[in-house]
Amino acid sequence: MVFNTGAALLDAIVLAVVSMDAEGTYGYKITQDVRQVIEISESTLYPVLRRLLKDGCLEVYDMEYGGRNRRYYKITEAGTAQLNLYITEWQSYAAKITRIFTGRGKDE
Amino acid sequence: MNRARFIKELERLLLDLPAGERKEALQYYNDYFDDAGPENEAQVIRELGSPAQVAKTIREGMSENGEYTERGYEDARFRNPQEISPGYQEAPFQKRKSQDPWKLLCILLLCFLLFPIIVPIFVVLLVVALSVFIGIIGILIGAVVVAIAFPIAGIVLIGFAVYNLFLFPSVGITLGGVGCLLLSVGILIFLLAIWLCKILLPLSIRGIVSLIRYPFRKAGVLK
Repeated sequence: MVFNTGAALLDAIVLAVVSMDAEGTYGYKITQDVRQVIEISESTLYPVLRRLLKDGCLEVYDMEYGGRNRRYYKITEAGTAQLNLYITEWQSYAAKITRIFTGRGKDE
Repeated sequence: MNRARFIKELERLLLDLPAGERKEALQYYNDYFDDAGPENEAQVIRELGSPAQVAKTIREGMSENGEYTERGYEDARFRNPQEISPGYQEAPFQKRKSQDPWKLLCILLLCFLLFPIIVPIFVVLLVVALSVFIGIIGILIGAVVVAIAFPIAGIVLIGFAVYNLFLFPSVGITLGGVGCLLLSVGILIFLLAIWLCKILLPLSIRGIVSLIRYPFRKAGVLK
């Protein structure tokens, strides 16, 4: 990918991916979903999930699946608020970039 | 490398982390392998790279200094190592180099400015010490002379006394008494002179030597 994905954007993408499943989702699936939109190495996601957990944006619970305990990640209220902030910021940012790219001045 | 060896190696590399952190990380990667399925095991291992790389990522994630992007861990402090490291290496070196000439210059300037004061003071001190030394030597010489002259005079007077005793008994007795006095005082001063030579001479020489050495020791030339 030509453009870098900063920490904030990566956080926003992970939060958005996790929030798509109301019941929560698990590490492998999150990685696959994130990799649908950005190039990311498989080992990069664990520290991001760990940090979001520490910041209280995500919570975890273990549920049995196929005879073993699988760890699920679920978005918290604080995480949802943070995600909404990211989305608003992104829309404004993306709109400005798009306006520049399409060659139309903002005074038009 | 298979999954079991990968996890075992990862666990070994994370041994110094808090037990909770290690357990969380290992559970995550165990889950990851489980969810990827045995058919994807080789691919996951290839994607993850080595256990050392994974351990490094986990460790860096705990340091809180950097941030994660799709290119992995980035820390602003280490992004341009060439720009930062020379400063780290040269700073103490330059400081040391710039401090010493300054100090030396100040000392030299002080020496130059105080030259008209220091030299007379030093000369006066040296002259005083030298005169004290010469005085002590003089006293010693005097004592030695007295110590030799008094007994000789005493013996001569005693000889005169013996001679006069038969002609003028009163004069003879007086001379004999003075002669005995001179002899005894002479012997006393002789003993005193020996004592002075033993005690005072080394003391005064040592004092002068230490006085001359003082400025050199202060300057750190002598230890």
